[in-house]
Amino acid sequence: MSVPLPPGAGLENIDSEQIKTFKDFLISYNKLTEMCFNDCVSDFTSRSIKHAEDKCALNCLEKFLKVNQRISQRFQEFQVLANENALASIKQTGS
Amino acid sequence: MSVKEQQNLQLIQELEIEMMADMYNRMTAACHKKCIPPVYNDSEIAKGEAVCIDRCVAKFLEIHERIGKKLGQLSMQDESLLKK
Repeated sequence: MSVPLPPGAGLENIDSEQIKTFKDFLISYNKLTEMCFNDCVSDFTSRSIKHAEDKCALNCLEKFLKVNQRISQRFQEFQVLANENALASIKQTGS
Repeated sequence: MSVKEQQNLQLIQELEIEMMADMYNRMTAACHKKCIPPVYNDSEIAKGEAVCIDRCVAKFLEIHERIGKKLGQLSMQDESLLKK
């Protein structure tokens, strides 16, 4: 797989923010590969990737993304709630 | 606020964001490990797995908060002991 370049890849105008996003992407890409490989591939009697292994790895990828999305949703909900509570307690002590 | 103070404030804010991201990544890894069995017959999240993830996130954040409070208490105690 070719490494996808960060969005808007004119090399002169990449800021540190984009580099960081790109780095995060690469890190999760590597983690994902490691995890799905470990969970899906354990037979080394053949050089080629079996259909089941391929399917397992792709399912693993898709599921991983969905799980991440769900965790991020729940996290955001928690953050909103925590913010509201903090604001409310400030108002209470302030007035 | 002096330039030095502003710089320090920015450093502290950046550190806070970085630590938040680190906590988030650890939570993601932990909840994935605890809730998703390594059998990928399907790419959908199963009902039970979804419930597990929701609870896992809530619990992780609550534990994070509790430990933070306790750590705060302990370090306050230590400081007041040192002053004595």
